[in-house]
Amino acid sequence: MKIELPLANGLQEVFRTDAGCVYQSDTQNCLYVEFSGKTIRYKVKCFFRLKAIVDRIDLAKMASDPGRACDLEIITMCACENCYVLTLPQIVAFKELLAGAKVMLELNSILHDRLRRVAVKAV
Amino acid sequence: MKDLLRLKSSLTAEIEALLNEQIQKEAHSSSLYLAMASWCDRNGFDNSAGYFYKQSDEEREHMLRIFKYVSDLGGTALSPTIDNIKLEFNSFREVFEDALEQEIAITQSFNNIADKCLRLKDFMTMQFLDWFLREQREEEYVARRAVELFDVIGEEGTGRWEIDRHVSKIKYDSEPSGA
Repeated sequence: MKIELPLANGLQEVFRTDAGCVYQSDTQNCLYVEFSGKTIRYKVKCFFRLKAIVDRIDLAKMASDPGRACDLEIITMCACENCYVLTLPQIVAFKELLAGAKVMLELNSILHDRLRRVAVKAV
Repeated sequence: MKDLLRLKSSLTAEIEALLNEQIQKEAHSSSLYLAMASWCDRNGFDNSAGYFYKQSDEEREHMLRIFKYVSDLGGTALSPTIDNIKLEFNSFREVFEDALEQEIAITQSFNNIADKCLRLKDFMTMQFLDWFLREQREEEYVARRAVELFDVIGEEGTGRWEIDRHVSKIKYDSEPSGA
């Protein structure tokens, strides 16, 4: 299901590359991944499941295998009606996007710890 | 921007991955002990078979403890898949030597997780591990004593029968006045 991105609805950019963008919704406690012409909403857990699936794709094997079936990778997730059909360069770009978003989410978590939780404790 | 990671789980991705690996290792131990019990049964070592059945149950209980902890803290506990279990052993002694090796490997694995917890300041998991570290003291003691029976009693004559008889009597008491 393609979701129209309610940019005005409190979405914040987590990480952006030339190929796509990941947004966070604080009102819905979820993430929106904009990539390959569609925007899909993920719960945090699902986002990390998606990242794990994409990370497991063997790029070297895809690149070296002359079979036509290896030109594309279909990325599906259990209990998720969306799927991605991506070429090798797209997968590289997708990996970069998801990895960058993960780092930013972790950085945000560290900042919360250092700036807010520790500060609350100090008071 | 909300901290969605922390809202969802108290565990960091690194600790969650390590705990899931430990779940896998405990399940592997449980299966290995079951294979040892089967070997002992096939070769007429009744008491040792009983000892390994019990050990297998204990390892499964350990696995479930970690499984529940990961789930309770908002993580994703992964159900383990087990293969490549050693089914045949060259001797009665080798069974117990392998069991001791397994316990040492498990202790080392818990030490590694504890080390990571300290570095990441995850004291909640550190405290959770405390029970396992104490348990490993007992597990290693019992496994080591079992191997030592082979030297103390000897395998000649009815030695293996004697060893089998004594295996189930090994007890650990951490108190200096115990025994």
